Amino acid sequence: MDKIFYITKEKLQELKKEYDELVTFEHNKTVGEEAPKIFESEDINPEFLSFQEDMSFLRSRIGELKNIFEHYELIKNPPKSDQAVVNLGAKVKIDVDGEKDEFVIVGTLEANPALGKISNESPVGKALLGHKIGDEITVSSPIKTKYKIKSIKYEVG
Amino acid sequence: MDKVIKFFIEVGKLKTMPRRGWVIREVKDPESIAEHTFRVAIMAWVLAEKKDKKLKLEKLLKMALVHDLCEVYAGDITPYDSILPKDKKKRRELLKTWPRFTEKEKKRLAESKFKKEKAGLEKLIRNLPPRLKHEVMALWLDYENGQSPEGRFFKHADRLESFLQAAEYWKGNKNVPQKPYWIQARELHDDPVILEFINQIDKEFHNKIKPKE
Repeated sequence: MDKIFYITKEKLQELKKEYDELVTFEHNKTVGEEAPKIFESEDINPEFLSFQEDMSFLRSRIGELKNIFEHYELIKNPPKSDQAVVNLGAKVKIDVDGEKDEFVIVGTLEANPALGKISNESPVGKALLGHKIGDEITVSSPIKTKYKIKSIKYEVG
Repeated sequence: MDKVIKFFIEVGKLKTMPRRGWVIREVKDPESIAEHTFRVAIMAWVLAEKKDKKLKLEKLLKMALVHDLCEVYAGDITPYDSILPKDKKKRRELLKTWPRFTEKEKKRLAESKFKKEKAGLEKLIRNLPPRLKHEVMALWLDYENGQSPEGRFFKHADRLESFLQAAEYWKGNKNVPQKPYWIQARELHDDPVILEFINQIDKEFHNKIKPKE
């Protein structure tokens, strides 16, 4: 079975924009036209696009994006009655062994732990799912770490 | 050709540049950045073979080779750098755990690291032939942003190599803290192949003595 990509609306829009631009770029390259001005913008990776001699990079990225569009599911706010528990898209304030931190639970495509975006498939992300404020989760293997949930918010569109 | 020779000489500096994470943890004779690159390339290759969905090996291995090139000029930046106390005792205490930052700080640190490393890489590859220059930069950006399946998998492999190295240093010296690596392992990794391998490392290194911190 193909993997489902859980993504936010914001991420989907970003990927669709990238896809449209890459497809136009590929088309223009094929017919030998100049790349439109839009490709000079900071929104997309200019180095990627200027790597013109090897179209395989471009086509491979287009392929990856197509695969995501065929297998994605949008992360939506759960109904109000379910917003007291951690689910995908939750912004969770947490106390980790006495230190404050803040995570957003996202799908693997958007995971970026350096920015506090924790994958729902990581052991900690998985362990937090379904828990509510005040719950304490212990992740041990082999050293124990305690995660206490201080607040849960949903801010996705 | 002289410009390419200059590039090779600059890249060669990674053979003698110690990885900063071990230096601040007072590891004696720590591995170099090039030594890390060598093993992470092997690990990425071998572990990629275990994936259900096959990855493009050429891309993955080239990514391994280039992922730390920026450090020739940008240096090896660690998450502790902005808060590292000068006092040895306090420093050792801090290094026993994973540093926590506010959302704003995380963003600032990530942006500053990215900017510094991108500038470092641009400087290093500026005289390479255009096609190679663009390929190196595209591979590095893919890795940095976790853009493709190879980029995402390699990011995990990269952290895993440091994780294995930390366990190896701990085996020889129990003062090398393990907790930050285990916290990272549990918060950062979500690839099933990598998670399975982490469990194997646990069994291999901790069957007799478990790390306390």
